[in-house]
Amino acid sequence: MTVIESSTSLDAGVMKKSSRIQVSRGMKTMIAALVVLFLFCKIFVPDSTSKGAVLGMLPFAAVLAIIALGQTLVIQQGGIDLSVAGSVSLAVVYVTRLPQQHDSQLWKAVLVALGSAVVVGVINGILISRIGINAIVATLGVSSLEYAVIMAISQGSPRRTTNLLNHIAANLTLGIPNSAIFAVLATIMVTLFLKRSVSGRRFEAVGANSHAGFAAGLKVKRHQISAYICAQILYCLAGILLAGILTQPTAYQGDSLVFPSVTVVVLGGTSLLGGRGFPAASAVAALFLQQLNQMVLTLNVPFGVRTLVTAIALLVGIALYTIRWELVRERFSALNSRRSVGAAHV
Amino acid sequence: MTRINSRVLKVASGLGIASMLFASTISTAATSAAAAAPSWCGPKKITMALTDGFGGNSWRLVTTASAQAEAAKCPSVKKLYYADGQGNTSKAISDIKSFVAKGVNAMVVFPDAGKAILPALRAAYKAGVVTVPYRVFPGGVAGKDYTAFIGTPFAQAGQNWANWALKALPKGGNVLFLSGPAGNSQGTDEAAGFWGVLKNHPEFKPIGVQPFEVTNWDPALAQQVLTADIAANPKIDLILSDFGPTLVGALTAAQKTGWKIPAIAASDGNVLGCFWKSMQSVDAFPMMTVSTQNDHARLAIDYAVAKATGGKLPGTVYPSLPFEDSISGKPKPVQCASNLPGDVYLSAQLSGAAQAALGKK
Repeated sequence: MTVIESSTSLDAGVMKKSSRIQVSRGMKTMIAALVVLFLFCKIFVPDSTSKGAVLGMLPFAAVLAIIALGQTLVIQQGGIDLSVAGSVSLAVVYVTRLPQQHDSQLWKAVLVALGSAVVVGVINGILISRIGINAIVATLGVSSLEYAVIMAISQGSPRRTTNLLNHIAANLTLGIPNSAIFAVLATIMVTLFLKRSVSGRRFEAVGANSHAGFAAGLKVKRHQISAYICAQILYCLAGILLAGILTQPTAYQGDSLVFPSVTVVVLGGTSLLGGRGFPAASAVAALFLQQLNQMVLTLNVPFGVRTLVTAIALLVGIALYTIRWELVRERFSALNSRRSVGAAHV
Repeated sequence: MTRINSRVLKVASGLGIASMLFASTISTAATSAAAAAPSWCGPKKITMALTDGFGGNSWRLVTTASAQAEAAKCPSVKKLYYADGQGNTSKAISDIKSFVAKGVNAMVVFPDAGKAILPALRAAYKAGVVTVPYRVFPGGVAGKDYTAFIGTPFAQAGQNWANWALKALPKGGNVLFLSGPAGNSQGTDEAAGFWGVLKNHPEFKPIGVQPFEVTNWDPALAQQVLTADIAANPKIDLILSDFGPTLVGALTAAQKTGWKIPAIAASDGNVLGCFWKSMQSVDAFPMMTVSTQNDHARLAIDYAVAKATGGKLPGTVYPSLPFEDSISGKPKPVQCASNLPGDVYLSAQLSGAAQAALGKK
């Protein structure tokens, strides 16, 4: 009885606080960074903000944003999901390989892909939350298993996207790429779930402090497992869109998305140690990172420099949120005053 | 809520497993190759092996099947083993070693990892196995480290593109070249071959990163690179690509924004040919392709078998040949088998239908 009471009071507290619209520090930072980046591009690399460049960049930003939503859910529960590579690739293979370019078969392939995503999410969640295997090891292992399935289904060669999927993912609606509309809808749904629903608030409470959540009577492990399942469904959606955008994808399309997915979550202000999650900020960070890449591509810099951009973005993200800048400032001012005292002695 | 959670979990995983069962509609199909012993097939009975550094894409699938079909033409080849290094250099090395231990007489190797494979090749050669690396140069010397290297002059593909460009674009123009990973020797040689032919034609100008734009042969990266290049260069007159099929997504996306597709010189692929055909009524553009060279593996097999069985030795260089030309129609007009998948290569000897059946295995 006491457990139920404390759980109710926890919910009430959290809900009361969330009834105000709060903009996280990560969101403010990312919006500011995005505005600065676009202004910089507009002035110094105007080609990268032309209509064609932006329309070309948005679908990839959308895919990364949807993956980032999933990664945010996992990271805020103190985990990390490296099975992005296998999961996105698997979704791509399902929705191209199974329909064999027949539009009428597409919905079945999408169902199979979603079902498979749920299974992978359950496996990840059980391995990590119930059995206690390290998240990095478990998700890497699961990703390898997914690649085994990919090879079994496709022998490494997916088929051409069906025309219907290409239209759904790559066409424009009112001048906006459909994939971007999907990303915005997914971001709104995940944010509303986390910030406005009772179960979403419980999910956040478990992420913020699993011990406190447990003490409050919340099913900690179940929430953690559900994070991995929801993440997989989002990766699956991203994979389906990517298959539609690319027309003739490869079987390894998710490989290059693992590192950026973690980078944008960190840039959005969600701590790698878990805690509160900021899915909308992660999505904005995905747009920021993709535009940054587009700018670097337009500048014609050597490939080596291009690959450094994501790495530097991750470092900056970690530095922004983990270094306590006021302490650094204090140290510096203390050092300076000591120096000036020393100089006075000499 | 927690009870609902657990129910949702159970239902969700049940649904997932059920729909996974949907997936397995895998059928098998076998390829066959008829045989009347060719000149490279000698009388001595042998067993041989074929090893790949990485076998997991449609191009490799067709190439491996081509090699197997070629070996099947020679009745003296009693057995052909195959191993896929799966992109793992140490597995590729151990595959070679295990075939030597198995006692094969000859071995054809796709040494993706280049010089890292050389010690294993040398060990096989010293153990008396006819060792024939092909396509990727592994360093070393033929007759000392391995029996022979069956190469292809990638520069020739560049020369073929350049000769066509002179006809297709008599006034010259801006040329963008998309190739694979940074510094890959194929792209470097192709660029050298292309600009070698055009060295006295200043009307052709390279644009983008030199010697080529890096795409890792990944369609997603190719699309992003092309988007950036179109933004930075309002005038692109010719796009070169040494893996034509990766261009299709990028061209489709760019064309949707109102951009006009320029002349294309690439390697062949059914998806590219069909894309060209589909654009005829929308935004026609001239196109030429060179063969994507799945049959390079056949020459490597011929050489290894000839050496091991006592047959007539073929040459050691596989040429780069033009395949399609939308302007002259020679050697062939642009090909499209719309009933076959996009990742079929119609320049290969293996029929398109046989290639499509391979992918269903």
